[in-house]
Amino acid sequence: MKAPTRASKLAPIFLVTAFATGMLATPASAQKQGGSITVGLELDITGFDPLKVGVFDTAALTAASAMFETLTYLDDKGETKPKLALSWVPSDDFKTWTFKLRPGVKFHDGTPFNAEAYKANFDRQKDPANKCRCAFYISGVKDVQAPDELTLVYHLADPAVNFPALVSYSNQNAAVQSPTAWKTKGDDYNRNPVGTGPYMLKSWTAGDRMILERNPDYWDKDKIYLDRIILKPLPDAQSRFASLQSGEADLVWDDEWDADNVQKAQKDSKLTVHTYTGSGASVAAFNTKVAPLDDVRVRQALVMALDRKKWSQATTNGLAKPATNPYGDGSWVKCKDDGALPYDVEKAKALIKDYGKPVEFKMLFTATPRGRANGQVLQQFWKQVGANMEIEQVDQATIPPRAFMRQFQVTPWRIVDLADPDTQMYANFHTGSPVALANYSDPELDKLLEDARTTVEIDKRIEDYCAVSRLINKEAIWFWNFQNTYYAISSAKVKGLPKMYSGVIDVSRTWKE
Amino acid sequence: MATLELTLGEDVQAQPAQRGRRLGPLFWAAIGWVVFVFAAAVFADMLPLPSPTDMDMLARRAPFSAEHWLGTDGLGRDELSRLVYGARVSLVVGLCAPVIGFVLGGGLGLLAGYFRGQFETLVVGSMDVLLAFPPLIFALAVTAFLGQSIMNLTCILGVLSIPAFMRVARAATLTLARREFVIAAQALGATHARILIRELLPNVALPLLAYFLLVVAVIILVEGSLAFLGLGVPPPIPSWGSMIGEGRESLDVAPRLAFIPAIAMFLTVLSFNLVGDTLRAITDPRQGAL
Amino acid sequence: MVFFIARRLLYLVPVLIAVSLLTFSIASLLPGDLAYVILGDQATPEKVAALRADMGLDQPILWRYLGWLGHVLQGDFGRSFRTGQTVLQAVAERLPISIELMLLAQLGALAIGVPVAIICAARSGGPFDRFMTGTAFGMLSVPTFLSAILLIYLFAVELRVLPATGYVPLAEDPLANLRFFVLPSLTLVLAEWPGIMRVLRSDMIATLQEDYIALAKAKGLTPSRILFVHALKPSSLTLVTVTGINIGRLIGGAVIVETIFALPGIGRLLVSAISTRDLIILQGVVLLVAAGFVIMNFIVDTLYAVLDPRIRHGHA
Repeated sequence: MKAPTRASKLAPIFLVTAFATGMLATPASAQKQGGSITVGLELDITGFDPLKVGVFDTAALTAASAMFETLTYLDDKGETKPKLALSWVPSDDFKTWTFKLRPGVKFHDGTPFNAEAYKANFDRQKDPANKCRCAFYISGVKDVQAPDELTLVYHLADPAVNFPALVSYSNQNAAVQSPTAWKTKGDDYNRNPVGTGPYMLKSWTAGDRMILERNPDYWDKDKIYLDRIILKPLPDAQSRFASLQSGEADLVWDDEWDADNVQKAQKDSKLTVHTYTGSGASVAAFNTKVAPLDDVRVRQALVMALDRKKWSQATTNGLAKPATNPYGDGSWVKCKDDGALPYDVEKAKALIKDYGKPVEFKMLFTATPRGRANGQVLQQFWKQVGANMEIEQVDQATIPPRAFMRQFQVTPWRIVDLADPDTQMYANFHTGSPVALANYSDPELDKLLEDARTTVEIDKRIEDYCAVSRLINKEAIWFWNFQNTYYAISSAKVKGLPKMYSGVIDVSRTWKE
Repeated sequence: MATLELTLGEDVQAQPAQRGRRLGPLFWAAIGWVVFVFAAAVFADMLPLPSPTDMDMLARRAPFSAEHWLGTDGLGRDELSRLVYGARVSLVVGLCAPVIGFVLGGGLGLLAGYFRGQFETLVVGSMDVLLAFPPLIFALAVTAFLGQSIMNLTCILGVLSIPAFMRVARAATLTLARREFVIAAQALGATHARILIRELLPNVALPLLAYFLLVVAVIILVEGSLAFLGLGVPPPIPSWGSMIGEGRESLDVAPRLAFIPAIAMFLTVLSFNLVGDTLRAITDPRQGAL
Repeated sequence: MVFFIARRLLYLVPVLIAVSLLTFSIASLLPGDLAYVILGDQATPEKVAALRADMGLDQPILWRYLGWLGHVLQGDFGRSFRTGQTVLQAVAERLPISIELMLLAQLGALAIGVPVAIICAARSGGPFDRFMTGTAFGMLSVPTFLSAILLIYLFAVELRVLPATGYVPLAEDPLANLRFFVLPSLTLVLAEWPGIMRVLRSDMIATLQEDYIALAKAKGLTPSRILFVHALKPSSLTLVTVTGINIGRLIGGAVIVETIFALPGIGRLLVSAISTRDLIILQGVVLLVAAGFVIMNFIVDTLYAVLDPRIRHGHA
């Protein structure tokens, strides 16, 4: 089924730059039926009820991509393709999207999938009485209607040209779960998820493993090869990689901080390294209401003191790709001039001297080896230009509350790989947003963000976003470190892993030779 | 050292008869090593070493060279320098934390063993409460609450060592309180304070001091374990435990990064254990040595 | 005798109450306001206040403690806000693993420590004794995490004969289960056997110097009979005590080993509860672990008293 002409006349929705190394098997190679795959995840999964967990993290997303489905999915070229929705039509102002749903789909518990079921999911997340943390991410959607069994209508607050691409991966909002299941199981539903996907939950031992079995009634069962998916949390990077080498795991999540192992795997013919560079970046925010960061000279000096290439070399053997703007190479926003401040130690020293007063502050880091390593590198960079940074190690769980309460001077953050930069840019920088961490208000910036949100033409939006980048870089209210590069390492026998859009490792359509 | 438990010797039993051989070459080698490490830590600033925090980011994990005698670590910092400064942390925490235990635990044990009765039950009960806590969780929780620093670390470990000292002091006091010289002093009408300070304290202090050294060894190991988990002193201050933890990431590429601090820690802990064990055997009151 | 046990039991109660109070205080003092953690990016001052009122977080600490204690005494330890599991469910899932690890470690340590101790005591002073005592001594100076890493490196990465991490439930596949437990248990065995060996050895040497042993030798009993029947039995009392205490200690989970080998035991549950500020789980599990430890100590003490009449009657 094709998307309607008007949408396809517009520029490709999503340009991605993939750095794949022998990733995708061509359709010609034989897909072997049967067998099981063991996936090593970084974290344990707590649950799947959006009301309880709020957000699906990377580990939960891997399981969710096998058990749940969404209206659409993105193919290799980044184009939106039908999944649970067969076709979609926008209104003229792109504020209303009408989806036609696929008939004959059932949830694992037999409940039929239809527009009512989808609407029930949405309403439950949006209902203020449920106080779902997930509601934040659908704040741009006014409501969802189900005029008939197979028709779904989305009413958005602002125009969204890319909307179908935004519901293409099974996050906590887009993944459809069975209304019967959550209504009957209550609190227990969180660990007994029911979806429409190719795999169903068979057993789950906390902290140990989750076993998913093939769904015999899946509507697309010819494309499903493996009988079983076993998911295991293996938080320790070395142990995780060792499991892969010893064969206990067939595929493991990894990242560039584990560069030694990634590079080792690249040289090993028995292993395949899958990688994808998405949009967004790992970043940090300055609290501009607190001295000494309330002075733009100090902020600029701190940013100019960073030699990202050396940093990447020191911590990731050079694998990490420096970022100069919030969009990255993986985004369709391409700027000729993003206003990035250059690496200039002398200028930085001069700015600090100009400021006159001693520059001392604390920065939050996660209490993990990589948090510590990054902290020490930044400490060193800033020491060289005369600034004293004290590392404040906190648990990962403490960073969001501290950030939202603005109890920080500098905090790390992340801009996630999404199909459209609007959600995060608006949330991170618009005056009044709870996530505008920098406490920085600029009417010109606000205007640009609003304009980019409501405009339809891609070129105009790109222009707006590049102007936003220039403004942010000049004022140095946030700074960008490295682009989002996602990694998964697998045995060479694992084939059929799709591109890791948004960092999701989707093994539901893989097979083992 | 499975779970950071700080009660060492349930083997505070009578030791077999000692032979002079005990103060042999091993003992003196251990003393020598401790003195050497101590001196290196104290005089670290005066030694011709590069800074332990300066990173030569493009020369990480460099092999031994004239510029870096023991090479560089994962972030390009001089390994030898970090080793020496790391000794500082291990020794500071290792020597100061047990002092807390010695003073508080030893004091409580002395009083409990002497006065007995309900006071003793209260003291022993409190120690049992403290001991019932998983020590690592205690350390984690307090660190989460108070933040990481050498001071906090020393205090946590000091508090965790109190029960062990209490037990030793109490056991020693129980033995000594029935000896003739104490009974004689009581018969002569000496006050409790006088008996405690003049008769008991000197005799209890000796086995406690010997035990002190054993606790130092344990604390160094515990600090190492905490640092390994990332709970030790805050970066960039080097610590042997955190060096091992960091070196672990490069175990297959450059195992020396983990092994060098591991050997240093092992030798130091071993030395303290040797000296402490020997001294304890000599000063155990049940031997009637004094 | 019964009086003695009753007295000790009575003593347990205030200890357990003190432990629960201490646990609750520590958990409540952890920073990272729970309401903010739960609300995440949606935290506005109004929502936070509402949630805190909802969860009763704004009441005085003593009130909350009594409320919690009341529930606990009825068997309701609360529910994790993250997973929705009750504390008892979470513990029940993980306890078997920690127990299996602990049992294997103790058995292994005994299997090595006891024979070595006997031989050393019998040939005290000889080359074997000196060597083993030295080795035991050395092992005590090696931290657990180091042994763990070395074992993984040697057996899992280089030789590839054993798995590095992971776990299979015993009920599902006993053989695979044991395979996964070899390295973790071995790490603990290496840490535990020296303690056992030294205690037993010194105890036996002391016993062997007693007069009645000399008498037995004079009577012409065989050395092995002397060793095992007359020397080992009294010394084994200490052994039982030490083992009992070790077991009580390890109930809390050997955190380092569990983390490195990815075993989903109690230790890891506690660590993750702290880092995610899952206070309900933290309070409940620490209380259970501490109670277990205290009760284990009680059992050991009672056993010791039963077997050694001198303790019962107040003589040290």
